[in-house]
Amino acid sequence: MSVTLTAPSTPVDPEHPRFWALPSVRFGVRRLRRLLISLWVLVTASFAMIHLIPGDPVRGALGPTAPADLVAARRHALGLDDPILVQYLHYLKGLVTGDLGTSLASQLPVSDVVAQRLPATLTLAGLAFLTAVVVAIPLGVVMGVLTRRGRGRRTELAFTTTSVIVATIPDFLIGVALVYVFGIQLGWLPVAGDATAPAYVLPVFSLAIGPAAILARIVRVEMVGVLEADFIRTARAKRLPARAIYVGHALPNAVTAALTVGGLLLSTLVVGTVLVENVFAWPGLGSTIVRSILTKDYPVVQAIVLVYGVGVLIINLVVDVALALLDPRSKIRED
Amino acid sequence: MSELRFENVTVRYGRTTAVDEVSLTVPEGAVVGLVGESGSGKSTLARAAVGLAPLTTGRITLGGDPIPARGRPRPLQMVFQDPYSSLDPRMTVGRSVAEAMPPGGSRADRRAEVERLLELVHLNPSCAGAVPSRLSGGQRQRVALARALAARPRVIIADEITSALDVSVQGAVLNLVRELQRELGLAMLFISHDLAVVRYVASQIAVMRHGRLVEQGPTTRVLTEPEHDFTRELLAAVPGRTTRRNRP
Amino acid sequence: MQGRWRRVVRTPLGLTATVLVVAVVALAVLGPMLWGSGAGAVDTDAILARPSARHWAGTDNLGRDILLRVLVASRLSVLLALLATVISVVAGLLLGSAPFVLGRRTGRLVAAGVNTAVAFPGLLLALFFAVVFGVGATGAVLAIGLAGAPAFARLTQTLVAGVAARDYVAAARAMGIGRFRILVRHVLPNIAEPLVVNATIGAGTALLSFAGLSFLGLGVQSPSYDWGRLLYEGIGTIYVNAPAALAPGAAVLLAGLAFNLFGESVAKGLGVPVAGGLRGMGPVRAGSASGPERTGRGEDAGDRSPEVVLDVRDLEVTISGPSGPVRPVRGVSFDVRRGEAVGIVGESGSGKSMTALAVTRLLADQGRVDASRLEFLGNDLLAPDTTARRRTLGTTLAMVFQDPMTAFNPTRRIGAQLAEVATRHQGMSRREAMARAVDRLTAVRIPDADRRARQYPHEFSGGMRQRAMIGMGLMGAPALIVADEPTTALDVTVQQQVLDLLAEIRDADDVALILISHDVTVVGEVCDRILVMYAGRIVEDLPAADLATAARHPYTRALVDAVPDMNTDLAEPLATIPGRPVDPADVPAGCAYADRCPLADARCAAEDPPLAADPFGPGDPSGVADPSGLGDPAGHDPAGSPRHRVACWHAGEPLPARPEDRNIDDLVESP
Repeated sequence: MSVTLTAPSTPVDPEHPRFWALPSVRFGVRRLRRLLISLWVLVTASFAMIHLIPGDPVRGALGPTAPADLVAARRHALGLDDPILVQYLHYLKGLVTGDLGTSLASQLPVSDVVAQRLPATLTLAGLAFLTAVVVAIPLGVVMGVLTRRGRGRRTELAFTTTSVIVATIPDFLIGVALVYVFGIQLGWLPVAGDATAPAYVLPVFSLAIGPAAILARIVRVEMVGVLEADFIRTARAKRLPARAIYVGHALPNAVTAALTVGGLLLSTLVVGTVLVENVFAWPGLGSTIVRSILTKDYPVVQAIVLVYGVGVLIINLVVDVALALLDPRSKIRED
Repeated sequence: MSELRFENVTVRYGRTTAVDEVSLTVPEGAVVGLVGESGSGKSTLARAAVGLAPLTTGRITLGGDPIPARGRPRPLQMVFQDPYSSLDPRMTVGRSVAEAMPPGGSRADRRAEVERLLELVHLNPSCAGAVPSRLSGGQRQRVALARALAARPRVIIADEITSALDVSVQGAVLNLVRELQRELGLAMLFISHDLAVVRYVASQIAVMRHGRLVEQGPTTRVLTEPEHDFTRELLAAVPGRTTRRNRP
Repeated sequence: MQGRWRRVVRTPLGLTATVLVVAVVALAVLGPMLWGSGAGAVDTDAILARPSARHWAGTDNLGRDILLRVLVASRLSVLLALLATVISVVAGLLLGSAPFVLGRRTGRLVAAGVNTAVAFPGLLLALFFAVVFGVGATGAVLAIGLAGAPAFARLTQTLVAGVAARDYVAAARAMGIGRFRILVRHVLPNIAEPLVVNATIGAGTALLSFAGLSFLGLGVQSPSYDWGRLLYEGIGTIYVNAPAALAPGAAVLLAGLAFNLFGESVAKGLGVPVAGGLRGMGPVRAGSASGPERTGRGEDAGDRSPEVVLDVRDLEVTISGPSGPVRPVRGVSFDVRRGEAVGIVGESGSGKSMTALAVTRLLADQGRVDASRLEFLGNDLLAPDTTARRRTLGTTLAMVFQDPMTAFNPTRRIGAQLAEVATRHQGMSRREAMARAVDRLTAVRIPDADRRARQYPHEFSGGMRQRAMIGMGLMGAPALIVADEPTTALDVTVQQQVLDLLAEIRDADDVALILISHDVTVVGEVCDRILVMYAGRIVEDLPAADLATAARHPYTRALVDAVPDMNTDLAEPLATIPGRPVDPADVPAGCAYADRCPLADARCAAEDPPLAADPFGPGDPSGVADPSGLGDPAGHDPAGSPRHRVACWHAGEPLPARPEDRNIDDLVESP
């Protein structure tokens, strides 16, 4: 995650560097290169997935009793008869043109399946992340101030213990518990996916609670750390009122540091939808990929793994760029 | 002959040149003081000599031969600045010292040698069983010196070995350095930012700035008749040299 | 070691977690033996039964008892999770330590690979591997094991890199010891603890992830069952019999939490340093200041010379240590007059920085400050903080700290950080304040101040930052500058510039200065008067001019002799002080210096000498001793020349001939 933001410190002419020597351009080029390499690794891995499966995937999918000519025809249709390099190039070409192959189960284009399922997953993940952030940052800041420099030992113990426990509970178990309490016992909220607003409540909360606990914990630790920093002592030596110190000096530094973790959490959260969607029968990518794995519908599996992976890469990119823009020490901000 | 010789040594990290064409000789049995400010390249030069930094160009020889980069024992040893990081916290003092000794010899021999080395640096031999956390900073630096001596080096490089110590114990380490030089005829490259300290232990002084060697010569000459402007600047900045401002 | 583990168990959380882990492991071993047959018994009379006395958690679709099945499933669940953890740990260790052993290029490649992999969430990797290895228990073990490897590799890599940067690894390399041997002998033992702790946490995570995969139907397949499989089956019948889903869910959660919390408590127990430094210790009580002897302060306000800027009497600082309160400052009295430069010297642990922070009320939460008097320009600093006092202090008391690299907020521009003082305390507009900041930066001789003010701290050099810090103090009209080791982090040539700047400011505006330093020569050069501190007390208060020639306390004399300067006699060994400085947590009775002092006798060990005017000291011609040392803490005799105070029963006595320097230094007992 950590990108070196500082360029080597010997520019040719610090006043007027050439275009390619501009810090922002160098950062962009470096980040783009990293993105392309990661993307290539991801695409290759998803391509290789089918070929890494021991035995014949088509035979595996159709079952041992399927007639041989059907298997052969299906193999041919999937292009599995071609030399591996040809298959690889074909796969790459398909990706570029938006052709993700055809589902073995439904015979529909995979891109249609993804397009149909993606919005539900994105909404779920996005809402959950927002909820987590809105809860966690104020909570973490307040806890940090309350427990600074070893103050409030009991508060700290209670908070860390609770947050560790909450963060450890997997989202799908939270989901099951919420279904039981609010869906079955109380009957307040719907427990299976449909498009109405109440249907979002339980899945969003199942997803958001864990990351919120982690994020709040990180923000608290960062806040406590920042409050110990020398520059906070300087701010106190300037005799600023407490609120100016916390909000003006401590918060920006703590949040910058928490951003990295926030990115990782968002990635985890996006993929975490797989489990939660299955608890709530949510019509998203997660329930689709599990069904496809079980029915050995490999083109769909490949495509969804790729979509999740690209999602993660995009999140990482956004976090890196945001960090670079927010942190004045990064060279790309020099004018 | 075991003089340590740096010939046109250059060390580059990426586009930064840390050490730039430095030629320097540490004669047999002499202590050469290397002074300069932070970032002047003096530590990099030292690390290059013991193989911890790669040479870009130039060569470093000991008694005319290149310094062996493989195998043991190494005839060139180094003592580091931070007494809290230079000893493995999980190893007893005795094991740390013994690890540096040339292989071979019986158990009893090795133990006796460890005790001899500890006595040489004025530590009670019973320290051998202690872990570093029980020692003070000054004692740790002396263990580090004993460890360096255990390899029977011909030259020792001391990189700011007193700058992390409390003033009341740095004197003991400086006395030890002078004593080892006098009694064992040990040659040493003594790196420090403190001219007064270097003046006290070294017979020759070399001054580095921005990776280059700007001046070298006998201590008394460099301190009384500096040739380079930077040396003069350094001398002028030594506290206690200027007369105190008298205030009403 | 023993004690540290005991501490883990002693916390309520640690104890609970330990008990739970033991219980889970015992259940995994014993469960199938005790209830194996019962769990398999099919009861066709009670299919999908709700909880009853016979079946506490009801039955499944074959009428098997759910509770028994949950108990029996513990073995498979725990076993598979441990297997997956072993795979993660082994693969992670290999990948993580590879960069250290392999050459620079290959190492960097491995590290880059790990960094790429670690960005992908574990579940995605697990799904990927589950597809590759196939649905089922074996596939799931491999999938979860390999999915956990990158995180573990990254952890190992970070830990290895941390140890590899230590000098003892460099020393071993300089000795010619091979990299693999260094890894085994020096690196791995020093990272073993965090690795084990994280492996424990990893086992908990693996357990929960496994349940996740089984819950999706991708893990253990029928007729085998683990908790996840039971949950998968139970969720289908959750409307008929909720406990069928809740029981395995609770089991997996409890077991996962047990491992996780056990790891976390061990981490916490081992991570806290056992003894030593004062850093990180909690306060006794937050910064209130109610001294025991604060009486009649109103009356003697008139006694003091209006020239006194800072007046400190009987200052004590108390912080809480692991074994009771620690008092790093034990009764310090001094004052500072207008325009006077007072130096405080001492070694680490002498309490000099604590004194500076205490008198400026910047100690805040770190400890309790007690004093019988603490006044700055007539303001009682022991009274509660008010806006008015903040304004006074903010504009008249300037601070300079040791490390200019960290003393500025890295995310805000220098100019704005200076201007903040003026907008907050002097009622200036943002624009006026900015102009003032630029003006002040110019005053501390920062070239091109207009442009510099818009830069961030990291764009300044160390010396320039220190000057900017001084400039920040000059935003108001300071009467006192407190500089705590202001030049220790700077190069000598830069040090001189900063000291010169401080001297100039004093001369120009009659600003008083407190300069704290470990360096006797620096303090002697800059200051008029010097306070020598040892173990939380002032042991000598003398004019700077007397330092080299007329110091009376044996510690001061040894300190002056121990530091070489440009005139030190090269023929003589340097003076040394045996032993080590006193640990503030363990100050002996009597004179704290007695253990290291060549003049010490029985009285010194029993009675702590007070800081008193030295009857024979050169600075006090009247020769009248003030045994309390407090009669005139201002420390000035009527003639106005500084008086010499010393705390020693043998002040000024000749030191015995220097012992032969060959003495063997005994092991100091561990604190």
